[in-house]
Amino acid sequence: MATAAPPKDTTLEREAERWMNDPYEHFGYDNTKIHSLPREEVEAVQLTAMNLRLAERRDQVQMLKKLADSQNIDAIGSLEDMAPLLFPHDIYKSYPASLLAKQKYDKLNQWLTKLTRFHPEEVDVSECDSIDSWLTKLRDETPLDVGASSGSSGTCSFYPKSKRDYFLSMMGQRVQLVQKFGEPVKRSDIDDKIHAIIPLYKDGHASMGGFGKYSCQVFGKGDPDYWHYCFDFKLSQDLMWLAARLRAAQAKGDISKVDVPDSLLARRAEWEQSQKDMPAQQLAFINRMIRELKGERVFVMCTSNLLYSVAKRGLEEGLTCDFAPGSVFMGGGGAKGVPLPDDLEEVVCGFFNTDRMISSYGMTEMNSFSVQCEHDRYHMLPFVTPFLLDLETGQPLPRKGKQTGRASFFDMTAESCWGGLVTGDVITIDWDHQCECGRTSWAIEKQINRVSEIQGGEDKISCAATPQAQADAMDFLTGFGG
Amino acid sequence: MMAKRPISYAVLRGKVVETDLIEFGGRGGDITFLAPDPHKIADQIPIASPRLMEDLYDISFEDILDYLAELGERCRLEENPYLQEALEYSYDTAPTTKPIMDSFYHDLPYMFDKDRIRDMVDYTIGIDHLEGWVNQDINGSHVGVRAYGARCLHIVAGNGPVLGALTIIRGAVTRGDTIIKVPSNDPFTTSAIARTMVDMAPDHPVTKHLAVAYWRGGDEELESQIYQPHNIEKICAWGGFASVKHVTKYIQPGIELISLDPKRSASIVGKEAIESEELMEEAANRIACDFATGNQTACSASRLVYVMCGTEDEDIEKLQQLGQKTYDAMLRLPEVVTTKPKQYDPQLKQWVDTLRLSDDFYTVIGGEEGEGAILVSHTSDRVDFWEYMADRTINMIPVDTLEEVLDVVDAYTQTVGVWPENLWEDVRHKGALHGGQRFVELGYAFNGAGLVGPQDGIEPMRRIVKWIVSEQPLPGRPTLWEAGEDVKMLA
Repeated sequence: MATAAPPKDTTLEREAERWMNDPYEHFGYDNTKIHSLPREEVEAVQLTAMNLRLAERRDQVQMLKKLADSQNIDAIGSLEDMAPLLFPHDIYKSYPASLLAKQKYDKLNQWLTKLTRFHPEEVDVSECDSIDSWLTKLRDETPLDVGASSGSSGTCSFYPKSKRDYFLSMMGQRVQLVQKFGEPVKRSDIDDKIHAIIPLYKDGHASMGGFGKYSCQVFGKGDPDYWHYCFDFKLSQDLMWLAARLRAAQAKGDISKVDVPDSLLARRAEWEQSQKDMPAQQLAFINRMIRELKGERVFVMCTSNLLYSVAKRGLEEGLTCDFAPGSVFMGGGGAKGVPLPDDLEEVVCGFFNTDRMISSYGMTEMNSFSVQCEHDRYHMLPFVTPFLLDLETGQPLPRKGKQTGRASFFDMTAESCWGGLVTGDVITIDWDHQCECGRTSWAIEKQINRVSEIQGGEDKISCAATPQAQADAMDFLTGFGG
Repeated sequence: MMAKRPISYAVLRGKVVETDLIEFGGRGGDITFLAPDPHKIADQIPIASPRLMEDLYDISFEDILDYLAELGERCRLEENPYLQEALEYSYDTAPTTKPIMDSFYHDLPYMFDKDRIRDMVDYTIGIDHLEGWVNQDINGSHVGVRAYGARCLHIVAGNGPVLGALTIIRGAVTRGDTIIKVPSNDPFTTSAIARTMVDMAPDHPVTKHLAVAYWRGGDEELESQIYQPHNIEKICAWGGFASVKHVTKYIQPGIELISLDPKRSASIVGKEAIESEELMEEAANRIACDFATGNQTACSASRLVYVMCGTEDEDIEKLQQLGQKTYDAMLRLPEVVTTKPKQYDPQLKQWVDTLRLSDDFYTVIGGEEGEGAILVSHTSDRVDFWEYMADRTINMIPVDTLEEVLDVVDAYTQTVGVWPENLWEDVRHKGALHGGQRFVELGYAFNGAGLVGPQDGIEPMRRIVKWIVSEQPLPGRPTLWEAGEDVKMLA
């Protein structure tokens, strides 16, 4: 497939470069402006940016070159043409699992190098003896700050994002969360120090630990007195991995078959204890923050369930919470299988004395968070192009009317990796709808599912095992009495 | 010719029901079909009283075999309009393709072969236990054991149309009262066989003790009515959680659940497979038979192939050749055995395509056209999505030692194909300890004795009957009323 790019337009290219390189600076950190652009203009810039990025990254990111070569694509003529070049999210865990178990960080580096424009393979990792030491070394010696996560299969994925990517991502939160859409930009919203309250870890390579220091940079303007975390240590990626392997082994019925180094297995009790103590410590932490930061403007980022339990207990005990007006409370989805309470919003807003609890949709593999508006839609930033792919064929669905499909994105701001991503989520976008909130940006409807929850017909019975069947069974069994 | 809507007939104890039809299915692009409103026939599905099972004991095991043999004769596709109609409709609902479904239907009569059934039953239960009391003097008593038919509800899997026929046979030879709840991926075959039974012998006890119907699994109103100890004693559910999730809430004293959990299968191949051109060819043919047959829809179809060829570069090169030969062997198999899959799982396709980009670690052979693929690992790692192997896709994994292979055999492992002979004893013994349940010579996973023996270690045949014991004292056994202080109360 050889499609010609649109005719070269240097004005458009210059505009695209500004969006790609520092979009918030370009738009004057103005949330209203960012979400008020005409859609046609946005599409034109996006297409231009895609061609620029493709030309640039093709020779920098080896996996992209391989994919583009195999598809015979040099340039794209429409947004849809990008679909075959989006990376499935699994690509970030496409290394053999034994490399981790055998601690072959040099081999992992060679693999990682193919996914970024930076050069982890040039870092000497011969002394590294853990995932933590490996990722820390990369962070110390390259622009990278690799984002790690571990899925239900027990495999760690490694997304080689840069520190700048993290920074942009956090800046996107400040710009979108602190400013009310429709109001003129106030410099104080952008320039003032705001206390960042993160009831999680000081550091780490997974998002529960990774975001902290960037929230200090962006919200606290680098002042450590404005950075508040619950756990004064680094969330160990090795322990996260161990926990995931243990879960996977448990599901298989033989806990003795956990393929991790013995030195790591020895730390199992440490992990289990920390998990047990965690909720009480987080509760105490937030309560302490409520006392110590009375009257201050704060940004709180944690799971909705934690916010809820603090608020619920606070209301019951007759406590009040007096953070300054303009404070922001951002909750997140919560763990799988833990349903959110019906009176969540009411309790959280009642206690924290705020209009609403904001939630957003995003992922480690993207710089751009989509923040939910008062009409319950997640609005896309203009420098991210959403695609909906047909669940059966993988082909892009038409960009008109209301469509539901596999969520895929092209994030032109990605500094390190290729910005094209196919996720495991199913989302709905009404392409023709202009949201009642006034934002012109495309918006994702509230209901977001995993692809794995959607597939599979009704009442079909097979004797062949799939993990979904087993996971369902485990959820069901462990759900008894709970 | 098939202008009318497909119907999943209810066949209830000698009576075909085709009234009060309502629509089912249609989710996720599936076809819809009609079936009698199950609520209107709910009271006719279970047997009215266990007393009514006496008629099954007026006939002998050989009488039952005669009945089944005649049924087999009447199940010849070319002479049976019910089966012809069911086959036509099943093309749309079945997970496999037309040539494979044609072949399944064509071979149906052979399932009813008398000698085949007799051997299978005798080996698995013992015909003498079904025909009368098997007596033995033990611990001073004359003890008899007999296997009685039970009132059993079967929730059958739909990935192969043979399972309905197998369930009818199992119910008949055990003198059971059999209710079959058919699945939405095979809603037509079983009732076509049952309709044939009604035409053949409407008043025969075997016909009278079979009820076949479709209802939506989880229909609480209906299931709470049927799944009661006064209606049924056992529920035999294939497919594990998918079928039992609705059932478990009805399990209570008086209802036993026999759950045939979902399984997967693997192959273990010795280093001989890469030693010469001829041996490579042989191994490739054997592997292909064990994974591609029936388009890999059965649990016994291999999904992971471990080859003990070593993991050096030259070993991997040889393994890639074996992979290519296995791919070629798959394409050579006749279309009654395997074809290009009906639809290649799009999620699997995405994973396979992603793997192509990791060519340092994996070689992908085929898979471009949705025909199936051989995924050759270059290290002793299986692919991350190994649990989702389907549509003629296998992962071929090089290992240095047998121990590495055994680590991945677990309680979910059904069949393990083994080759060559020198691995047999060791793999069978150690594999059994790890949780493997069936060991076959590589290439014969689908070419053996049929479902004889315990099946997944679960013993469904021995468990769908009720084992009854009778005891009489042998002469000289002291009575409790005369024993005085000497009596011993032992269990």
